[in-house]
Amino acid sequence: MPAVTFDRVTVAVETDNTPEPKVLIDAVSLELTEQRIGVIGANGSGKSTVLRLVNGLVQPTAGKVTVDGADTVRNVRTVRRNVGFVFTDPLSQLVMPTGREDVELSLRRSVRNGTERRQAAEAALDRLGLLELADQSIYELSGGERQLMALAAVLAVNPSVLVLDEPSTLLDLRNRELLRRTLAGLDQQIIMSTHDLELALEMDRVLVIEEGEVVFDGGAAAAVDHYRMLCRDGLPAGKPR
Amino acid sequence: MSNTDTAVKNPISTGRRRWNATDLGLIAVFAALVAAAALVPGLAVNGFGVPITFQTLAVMLTGLVLGPGRGFAAVGLYTLLGLAGLPIFSQGRSGLGILAGPSAGYIIAFPIAACVVGWLATIVIRRTTKARALWFFLSAAVTSAVVVHSLGIVGIALNTKATLGQAFLSDLVFYPGDMVKNILAAVIAVALHRAFPDILVRRVRRSAAQPAKA
Amino acid sequence: MRGHGFLLANYVPGQSFIHRAPLALKFLLVFGCGLASFIVVDWRVSLAVLAGLCGLFLLTGAGLKKLWAAIRPLAAVLLVIGVFQWWMLGAPTAARIVLNILVCVVAASLLTATTPVQRLLDGVVRAAGPFKRFGADPERFALTIAIMLRSIPYIAGTFADVRDSARARGLERNPRALILPVFITSVAFARQTGEALAARGLGEAED
Repeated sequence: MPAVTFDRVTVAVETDNTPEPKVLIDAVSLELTEQRIGVIGANGSGKSTVLRLVNGLVQPTAGKVTVDGADTVRNVRTVRRNVGFVFTDPLSQLVMPTGREDVELSLRRSVRNGTERRQAAEAALDRLGLLELADQSIYELSGGERQLMALAAVLAVNPSVLVLDEPSTLLDLRNRELLRRTLAGLDQQIIMSTHDLELALEMDRVLVIEEGEVVFDGGAAAAVDHYRMLCRDGLPAGKPR
Repeated sequence: MSNTDTAVKNPISTGRRRWNATDLGLIAVFAALVAAAALVPGLAVNGFGVPITFQTLAVMLTGLVLGPGRGFAAVGLYTLLGLAGLPIFSQGRSGLGILAGPSAGYIIAFPIAACVVGWLATIVIRRTTKARALWFFLSAAVTSAVVVHSLGIVGIALNTKATLGQAFLSDLVFYPGDMVKNILAAVIAVALHRAFPDILVRRVRRSAAQPAKA
Repeated sequence: MRGHGFLLANYVPGQSFIHRAPLALKFLLVFGCGLASFIVVDWRVSLAVLAGLCGLFLLTGAGLKKLWAAIRPLAAVLLVIGVFQWWMLGAPTAARIVLNILVCVVAASLLTATTPVQRLLDGVVRAAGPFKRFGADPERFALTIAIMLRSIPYIAGTFADVRDSARARGLERNPRALILPVFITSVAFARQTGEALAARGLGEAED
């Protein structure tokens, strides 16, 4: 497995309301080598920022992030070739009117020849069983099909790491299952944030993020327990019903 | 094709700092915004039966929000594609034929106006903190008088064999509506800068503060 | 989904001779129609050209529905222009103006209905190639065009929503509150698109 490392990474942003920059991620150090890594935590806890750091979409204010030794600031192009990113909403990710065209767009940088590119796109769509839907308007697809289409476009360029930001949040139960099965069949290293604790339980390692810090790091079952406890403790205590 | 030349060079090129993917997204979407504003009939149809569109509003807003470089690129891209044959000029017109018609001056003026008003907007943002809407409005009003209307009048005079005086009179009809649209553009620009504080302002500050190699 | 195929017919896979015609030729047709719109002075010529183009469009197998979908958003505006010009300049001139606009729209749709977007992009990249030495980046130029084309229906849709809500709520409302959402949504949309491109390694400058 490729190694993603965080070396005392801090992310802070300027805001108009406070004089001091707001700290989103606070001195996090990590070494991620497992194949399936889950990231859980409340909304606004910093999950998304952690994921975006892996792909260079967010750059550290201090510290550094590397993927297979490549620095996400200095070698951002290499990093983005190796790290595919799937967003929560596939419609913001699919920039072409049909899936096939979107997959071909992904391949434009790596495959210059038109015929080869078409064949590569065909193969990428076929791998996820999407050939029949390839020429439909992305607006005519179901949520799950769209998410798979976005996945196909990302996988087409063969990244070694796949980052997914709450990929199942907008999906219904059946589409979730479809996505889960597809992900289970992939060889890539997967780093995924999710609110779906069942999905989190299938991971090899789970990080719990709270207010910009990793508050738990370990096996899936223990992490989910920890997160459940955290959520209970955060609420006003023991009101009788 | 001399206009391809400028438009290809400018959207993508040589500025001090090369545009990133977000800049391309903004340029493309604002170009689409100008096109959509030209095509979708506005809130009302005036007494002459000419639909009021948001087009000049979109052009000014593009400059006010994106600044001179990206503003010019966005409106320039729109103009270039319209001249190449995409039916995106007002009322669905397109093609080089436009350049022989009465609206030629306005079409050519749009990218220049976006650039000029964008340049003025960066000055406003650097120098003022209060009453920005007023400054934005003044920038847009000056730009529309100096760039849009004057080139528009020249276009009418050249292409319809009207005298400059007649051209001036027929252009005058557009002034009241344009002033309203400039007010709107200024107010909306202020709101957009508040909603997306780094769209132009922090770019300026940050690129000034950042050392050459991060 | 609102506005899909708005203004320009989407690509329809096929094997007609128009599909197989060189891109440059199809572009010349569009370009020529744009030029001709001010050379042609007789509405009957415009009508003949329009009929010919519609015939070609049907030969591609894309169907009447696609053609109508492309024209429909303009129908109301064209009607208004037609009536207005008829009143001002007489029927023949009005017919010529409206028909010439339709000629341009159908010609552009003929191109987009028979050419996959990727082929169009390749064409733009090739055409912009000579400008590389001035610092232009044809790939990014083509990508920007593709994003723009994709965004027009989306934004036209938000404009239409605004118009509808204006009708529903009446015009006494503050116009800023009415149209501001269009621009907020558009900027947010632009940023999402930019982020998605960056994440996929597209659209960044190559040194």
